[in-house]
Amino acid sequence: MLIMGEVRTGLLQNSAEVPESDLSSVLGLLAGERVRISRRPILHALSPDLLTGVDCLLPSAAQAKIRGVGTVVSRCSITGGRVVQSSSYVRVTKAETGHRLPWSHYLARPGVIEVLGKAAAADLADGFLAFGLPGEHLDVGSISDRLMDTVQAAESLDRASPFRSTQTRLRWVAASGEPGVRFVLGEGVERRVRITYEGEFSTAVLDLCEDLALHDWLLTTLLVIVERARIGAAPRAEVSARLAPAVDALLHLWMPGARIHPSLAPLWESLELAPGFTRQWQSLVERVRDQFAVNTLALLLRETNPV
Amino acid sequence: MLVFAISDKGGTGRSVTSSNIVYRRALQGQDVCYLDFDFGSPTVGAIFRVSGAARGTLKGGLHRYLEGEIAEPTRIDVWVESDRDALRSKPPGAGQMVLFPGDEGGAEFPTFEGEMVERCVRLFAKLQEQFDLVMVDLSAGRSHAALLALAATARLPKIPCRWLVFHRWTRQHILAADGLVTGTHGLLDAGEAHGHHRALLADRIRFVRTAVLDPGAAELDGLRDTQKTWLSEFDRELRELASRHGVGRTSMLGKVPLDPVLQWREQLITDEDVQGTMIANVETVVAFDELAKKIVDDAAWEGL
Ligand SMILES: Nc1ncnc2c1ncn2[C@@H]1O[C@H](COP(=O)(O)OP(=O)(O)OP(=O)(O)O)[C@@H](O)[C@H]1O
Ligand SMILES: [Mg+2]
Repeated sequence: MLIMGEVRTGLLQNSAEVPESDLSSVLGLLAGERVRISRRPILHALSPDLLTGVDCLLPSAAQAKIRGVGTVVSRCSITGGRVVQSSSYVRVTKAETGHRLPWSHYLARPGVIEVLGKAAAADLADGFLAFGLPGEHLDVGSISDRLMDTVQAAESLDRASPFRSTQTRLRWVAASGEPGVRFVLGEGVERRVRITYEGEFSTAVLDLCEDLALHDWLLTTLLVIVERARIGAAPRAEVSARLAPAVDALLHLWMPGARIHPSLAPLWESLELAPGFTRQWQSLVERVRDQFAVNTLALLLRETNPV
Repeated sequence: MLVFAISDKGGTGRSVTSSNIVYRRALQGQDVCYLDFDFGSPTVGAIFRVSGAARGTLKGGLHRYLEGEIAEPTRIDVWVESDRDALRSKPPGAGQMVLFPGDEGGAEFPTFEGEMVERCVRLFAKLQEQFDLVMVDLSAGRSHAALLALAATARLPKIPCRWLVFHRWTRQHILAADGLVTGTHGLLDAGEAHGHHRALLADRIRFVRTAVLDPGAAELDGLRDTQKTWLSEFDRELRELASRHGVGRTSMLGKVPLDPVLQWREQLITDEDVQGTMIANVETVVAFDELAKKIVDDAAWEGL
C-alpha cells in the first residue's frame, strides 16, 4: 500500500497571534465536530477530518492512465496561533473489481482510493512527487489549498499579517519497510519527502510530515527575512525594523519533533544529521540576535557619548 | 495592497507606467506582482521582456484560471526569466517581482458569473498574503475585467485597495478620465452596484497623468517664444479644465513626463538606461520612483 499526501504551510493572516479562544472558530470548517486543542509544549489546534470524493486519473511517472476512485482526507492545523497548515492524503489500494462501486462503498473507507486496473506503487509515487500540472490528475494539493483559503478567510482574522510570506508545498509518499526518511528541497516552494515506516500505517506518519513541513517553512521564511534585511549593507535601524517581525512571530515556534510519536523520533533525528534543520536555524537565530545586540549597544553608546 | 490600473481610452500608457511602478517598488525592497487582466490584448510579457509570454502565455494564465479551467495561474519570476540582462538578476535587497500573464488567444470576458468572482477573490486574497503590492492592469474602458475587480474587492473589505486612473494630458483625455469615474456606469456607479460604499470607493481613486510635456522643460528651449507662450497658456487651460472635472491636482497622485524611450518602445526604464547609455531621462525614473512610494503612502490618500 502506498500513501501520498501534500502539506501546505503558511502564515496565518492576522496581525497578532490568534488566541486559544479564537482557534476553534477559525478552524470550524465542519459544523458539529470539535477542534482539538493541545497546549503543551506549544499551542496547537487541529481541525476535524474532512472528506472529499474523487474519481480521477492518478499521477504516473510512466504517463499510464490509472483511474482511482475514493475519498481524500484533509485537515487543518494552527501552531502557536501563527502558522497554518493544511494537509491532505490518501491511501492507495487495489480495487477488488474492475468497475466503480456505489459511493457508500467508498464512504465506508475514508481516505482510501481504490485503483481500477493495474498500477505500480513506485510509478505512482514518482508521478506524484513530480508535481505535474495542477488539475490533470488527482490533485491533493488543490484540496489542501482550498481548505487553507477557507481558514484564511475566517471572520475573526484581520488579514493584516506582520510580514509577507510564501506558502510552501511539501509532498510526501510513505510505504512500509525499513524505517527511513528522505527530504529533498525543490527550486521554489516545492519539497519532496519519502518515508518508510515499520508496521501498520497510522496518522503518526502524517504528524511527522506536518511537523517537517512546519519547520521547513519556518527556516525558509526566516532565511528570506534575514536576506532581505541586508545586514551590514543597510542602516542599523532599518535592519532591526526588518528583523523585528521575525523575532516577534517566529523564533519561539521552533520545536522539532515536539508533536511526534516516539516510534518516529529516530526519523527526525536522522533529518537533523542531514540536512540538519536545527543547525541552520540556530545559526540564523544567532545572527538575528547578534544584530539586535549590536544595535542596542550602538544606541547605548550614542546615549552615553553624545556627539 | 491591491492596486488597479485603469484608463478610459486605450494607449494612455497604463501598462507601461504601472509596470515601471511595480519595478521601482521591487527595487525599493518590496515584494511585488503584476497581473495582466487585459484579457483581450495581453502585453505585459513584452514590457518585462519575457519571451514566453510576450502575447500572453500558452501554459495557463489568468484568463483560464478565472474560467475555472486550471487550479492555479502560471507565474513568472522576472528576475529569473526576463531576456533582458539588466533584469535577470535580483539586486541585493530588492523584493520578488512576479508576473501573472494572460493567455495567448484569450479574449475579454463577455460576462462573468459568481464562480468567477469567487476564484478572483481567492486569488487576490492569496496574493495579498505573499506580496506587498499586487498591481492589476485592467483593460481600457468599462470592461468586465473592471467589474470583476469591483465585485471581488467588495468581498474583501479587509484588504486595502486603491485605483489608479491613467490619462494623457489632453482635453479629451481629461474629460474621459472624469467620465470613467463619475459618469453613468462609471467606476463609482458600478462599484456601488457591486456593494462598495460610493464615498469610500471615491477616496480610493487617484489620477495619474502620462506622457506629459512640461512647458518649462529644457528640451523645449529650441521653441520660439510665441510657441512657448501658447504651450503655457494651453497648459493652464488644461489645469483649469482638470480641476473643474475633479481630475485636478488634489486628486492626482503623480505625473510622468513624456519620455523619448517610451515614445518608441514599451519597456521598463532601468538605471542603466539613464546613467549608462543615457537614452532615457532621469526625470522619468524619478516620477516612477515617486509614484511607487505614493501608492502606499497614506498621506497621499487622505480623503479629499
Ligand atoms: N511617459 C511616456 N512617454 C512617452 N511615451 C509613453 C509614455 N508612457 C507610455 N508611452 C507610450 O504610449 C504607448 C501606449 O502605452 P501603453 O501600452 O502602456 O498604454 P495602455 O494604456 O496600456 O494601452 P492599451 O489600452 O492598448 O493597453 C506606448 O507606446 C508607450 O510606450
Ligand atoms: Mg496596456
